[in-house]
Amino acid sequence: MSANGRYLRIAAGLVVIAALIAIPANFNRYGLFILSQWAVMTIAAMGLNLTLGYAGQVSLAQGAFVGVGAYASAILTTHGWPLPAALGVSILTSFIIGWLLGYPALRVQHHYLAFVTLAFSTLAFLVFRNESWLTGGIYGISNIPRPHIFGFATNKPLPFYYLCLGSLAIVSLAVWWLIRSPWGRAFMSLRENPLRAQSLGVDTRRYTLMAFAIGSALGGVAGGLYAPLTQYIDPVPFNLSLSLDLLMMVIVGGSGFFFGPFLGAMIAVLLPEWLRFTQGYYLMLYAIAVIVLLIWSPTGILGILDRFLANRRTKTASALRAVAKSRLETVQ
Amino acid sequence: MRPTILAGALFAIGSLSAAFAQSSGPIKLADVAELSGGGATVGTNWKNGIDLAVEEINAKGGILGRKIEVTHADSQSNPGVARAQVQKALDDEPYVLLGPGYSGSVKVTAPLAADAGITQIMGGEAAELTQMGDKFLFRTSFGQQSSMPKVAKYINDELKARSVAVVWVNNDFGRGGRDVIVKEFGRLGITVVADQSTEAGQSDFAADVSKIKAASPDAVFIYLNEEESARILKEIKRQGVTAPLIGETTLVGQKVIELAGGAANGARGHVGLTTDAPVDLIKQFRDKFVKKYNYVPDHNGIKGYLAVYMVKATTDKMGKVDPKAFADTLHGLTIKATEEPGMLMDVTFDEHGDIDRQGFLVEVVDGKQVVTQVLPKLH
Repeated sequence: MSANGRYLRIAAGLVVIAALIAIPANFNRYGLFILSQWAVMTIAAMGLNLTLGYAGQVSLAQGAFVGVGAYASAILTTHGWPLPAALGVSILTSFIIGWLLGYPALRVQHHYLAFVTLAFSTLAFLVFRNESWLTGGIYGISNIPRPHIFGFATNKPLPFYYLCLGSLAIVSLAVWWLIRSPWGRAFMSLRENPLRAQSLGVDTRRYTLMAFAIGSALGGVAGGLYAPLTQYIDPVPFNLSLSLDLLMMVIVGGSGFFFGPFLGAMIAVLLPEWLRFTQGYYLMLYAIAVIVLLIWSPTGILGILDRFLANRRTKTASALRAVAKSRLETVQ
Repeated sequence: MRPTILAGALFAIGSLSAAFAQSSGPIKLADVAELSGGGATVGTNWKNGIDLAVEEINAKGGILGRKIEVTHADSQSNPGVARAQVQKALDDEPYVLLGPGYSGSVKVTAPLAADAGITQIMGGEAAELTQMGDKFLFRTSFGQQSSMPKVAKYINDELKARSVAVVWVNNDFGRGGRDVIVKEFGRLGITVVADQSTEAGQSDFAADVSKIKAASPDAVFIYLNEEESARILKEIKRQGVTAPLIGETTLVGQKVIELAGGAANGARGHVGLTTDAPVDLIKQFRDKFVKKYNYVPDHNGIKGYLAVYMVKATTDKMGKVDPKAFADTLHGLTIKATEEPGMLMDVTFDEHGDIDRQGFLVEVVDGKQVVTQVLPKLH
């Protein structure tokens, strides 16, 4: 990529970040809640994008990991733990469970793996609901406190939004680094050609487990923030439909693209809200919009952009080639 | 990233329009209900009841000469979404907030309404909702803490049962009712010989019923949603369980009778709000509802209808539209049906926002709900 293009991209990125910080300062509480929800869901979708988009392991359990994280953080913070510590436990718990769930992935692939993870998702829901001594069962856990971070109270919607945005920034940087590290390349080799990866000395077993564990840990981060965001959790929001929602976010945004989850979560969280003016039809229109998008571009929104850029690059290259050719001909 | 900016613009417009005060123009009510997801039947009935009441009141000139305007928002039966929608509704500064119906969604939204100082009239029936010390939360129906003791008393006094099987649906509705009534049975010295948890949407009750049959209780208490109630009634008939079947509201509902057919005969229960009540105003309500929507509402339809008339009666009593004084006025208020026919029955609200009203004991006879006893209002 040319130096100009890089500066342009950095500038665009800075504008977006500045907008995400500055514009919401004037939002009402509802707007801030929805944007915080977007940030939280983006984190969860980034985790799934790592597992599915980069490492190619189908998972229908990401919603359950958000649940694991949410319950861990809710239980601990209502017992007086500070959120950062509770978040640490959320991450660790989902990491370990994710690692264990990775074992079936070593034996089964594709839709079979989807079924295994689906079973896990149901199992997690039953644990949330039936183990009432721990999770409060169907009554859920209420009065989840919002934390003080470095002495700042985040009770109000705006500081809490900044907490979510800050967490999203940290997670984004970490994932950005990860997919550019040898690990990220190993993940992609799992997706593209596991046999070849193995023949090149990539420990596919370890990386498969890692892909699950890290993806799930990010689900845990999202859950750990979701609990203080809504300040009340019960088992219902973490059932299979959340996992499907997250899967949709990844695919609609563009599976395997770094910015895919950002756009996907935006569509899944914000689009239904914009469509609410249509009253009873909003979910229907939302569903139709998603179907049309996926028919038009099965690789998601970023797939469209990717095709467009690839096209342009091809054209530029052809043009350059043509010029070079004509020059050569003139010389001769 | 343009959508974010678009969102910003939309939100900004939203907050601008909220700046218009309540002092003139229509009275704004905001409803947040379960219009999709697991609670869609509950929410849709509630919404239709609200719309019917609003239409009636506006046709008669509104409240204190001002029309009512109501907005409906869908909580998708999800507490997180309910919270967002209630926040949105509160940002628009409505006069009164209506809904939600699911107890979990009420729990997450009630603190927001209380913070904003806006009264919330909800459909939730879980006992704890009015025991949180919330000064702005009101019921439209009996809470489980007042309906379940009546059922337990009936099982103890009338049926003289010493052992009972309890079947409940494992969600906040079923679990809440089960917990209250089991405690009540304990107090009355009735043994719970079977305690069966079932799933929402469960279709096969053979195993549950055979366990009940094996326990041979003196009575069976069934607390499931309507469709599951019908299924278990059929299974109970098939396996020949003869113990009396008692329920609360759902078991003897119109929908259950239609679905279960002959198997519903003999089922009894306590009903706080039923369209089959021997009360003229309720019959009129039912006719109006059926005319407008072409189906017979369940108790949630009546609850939505009452919620709007609670707003009207309270405002008439204050003589002005004052959101701040609303909750104080409604606490301790008795509304007589002769003065406000929209309330359908005389009702009193206590200091917790709980309701005192007459109730009914009914039995299904030949496919019809028959009221066997009217339980009078307490105060």
